[in-house]
Amino acid sequence: MATRWPGATPYSPIPAAKNLPGGGTGQERERKVVSKGNQQYPPLRALQASAVLRRASDEHKKEPLASSSQQHFDSPPAGHQPEQKPQGPHPSYTGQGGQESEDYESEEQLQHRILTAALEFVPEHGWTAEAIAEGAKTLGLSVAAAGMFRSDGSELILHFVSECNSKLSELLQKEQKLVQLGEAEKKPIDEFLRDAVEARLRMLIPYIEKWPQALSILLLPRNIPSSLNLLTSMIDDIWHYAGDQSTDFNWYTRRAVLTGIYNTTELVMMQDSSPGFEDTWRFLGNRVADAMAMSSTASQVQSTGEAVVQGLMGAAVTIKNLAGLNQRR
Amino acid sequence: MAAAAGPAVRCSLWQRRSLRCGPGPRPVPGGGAPLRLCSTQAVPQAGINKPVIDRIIRVDHAGEFGANRIYAGQMAVLGRSSVGPVIQQMWNQEKDHLKKFNELMVAYRVRPTVLLPFWNVAGFVLGAGSALLGKKGAMACTVAVEESISEHYNNQIRTLIEEDPEKYKELLQVIKQFRDEEQEHHDIGLEHDAEATPAYSVLKTAIQLGCKAAIFLSERI
Repeated sequence: MATRWPGATPYSPIPAAKNLPGGGTGQERERKVVSKGNQQYPPLRALQASAVLRRASDEHKKEPLASSSQQHFDSPPAGHQPEQKPQGPHPSYTGQGGQESEDYESEEQLQHRILTAALEFVPEHGWTAEAIAEGAKTLGLSVAAAGMFRSDGSELILHFVSECNSKLSELLQKEQKLVQLGEAEKKPIDEFLRDAVEARLRMLIPYIEKWPQALSILLLPRNIPSSLNLLTSMIDDIWHYAGDQSTDFNWYTRRAVLTGIYNTTELVMMQDSSPGFEDTWRFLGNRVADAMAMSSTASQVQSTGEAVVQGLMGAAVTIKNLAGLNQRR
Repeated sequence: MAAAAGPAVRCSLWQRRSLRCGPGPRPVPGGGAPLRLCSTQAVPQAGINKPVIDRIIRVDHAGEFGANRIYAGQMAVLGRSSVGPVIQQMWNQEKDHLKKFNELMVAYRVRPTVLLPFWNVAGFVLGAGSALLGKKGAMACTVAVEESISEHYNNQIRTLIEEDPEKYKELLQVIKQFRDEEQEHHDIGLEHDAEATPAYSVLKTAIQLGCKAAIFLSERI
């Protein structure tokens, strides 16, 4: 899938790299791609990847790639600016803040942008490398950019899930602020949970056709740590905003229950064909009500248990007294 | 190329709050706004070393919970004896410690250890068991446990100071205060003839080994 240019293949060192415009700056940029970001990423490939992408963007700018290096000098800066202008407000995720200039995009930010752009092609192509390739194309990059990611589309799905979780967090935070300012009523817990899960599941609606495929990919052993991580953090977020302050085993029970509710509702949603998914929301309401009933039952059982224990202790003390064992030491 | 990108991408793009420094791949909630129910303030999560703080609070919470149960066990056996009031007073201080860590746990959004039900039972059994050896036995248990805990708190204080004493000032203060109080309990135990217990050194070593194991597990699970 890699396009060929004169003088370079994707897998050989780019000879003109050192002749990039601004001489030293170009080189520094190349080195920055290599040194920043994830230490695990082999530097040579990073170098090639970014050079490949930049060359591709040159191509799309329709500059005739003459064999003379003169034109190579001119096109990259022009190619760079539109790509890099929107990068200003993006935070760097690499944690090496001091070393990079502000307008330079890190590897992760680039991947983030490609995946975001790829999402609009998912309803058509599914969670595949084709969608990523299409997304890369809309950003003016070569379709070879899809080679940065795994071929089964896992990164795209994980990116999507992570974005949905962030959106949910923001939504819940906004609601919380409104309640604190007194502009909204504090919801009872079952309503809060129901609304939060519904809001999160509604984010799947545009992609609902292809979501079963995504679920199966998320269950691949290789993806399970990441997808589990994302799921647990989302559930923890929902409980946090619901006002859960438990510091005992309840912490686990509540999260386990909500995870069960979320997963089963998601599955129901997959094969729901009612208008506006009303069957799903009714199912969700019933499950949340069950959970509430279960917790009240649990506390009833506990208080009954405590009463029984008290009774037994009383009986034991009585027997001790009768047997004359209850003397002062 | 893609294979190498895999682990790199996975680690960075959607690792949740366990990232070390400031802005993570997703907006971190709870930015300084007070929580609804009680008086705890939510601590802004950006900029703190989440994994380290998580561990510290989780294990300290488990420790105070266990200490509570140990004293409860001792009181159940020795409550009406002459050391009853002494144990009761130490128990009350441990209750305060536990309350404080409950608040910190909510503020830092730390998960409690899964082993809490187990420490519930094990602590009570240890307390009651040592009390059945007599008053000196109970004091020996107190000495052993409090010595372990003091050393453990000291380690944590060292860790936090190495990290950033300014950022963790409040937490450092709390741990220092609690370490001093645990040290007091240790001294009280010694005053009450803990060392005169039969098989004192064996008992002490066994209990301290158990404490080390408990600390190790609670930090991780």
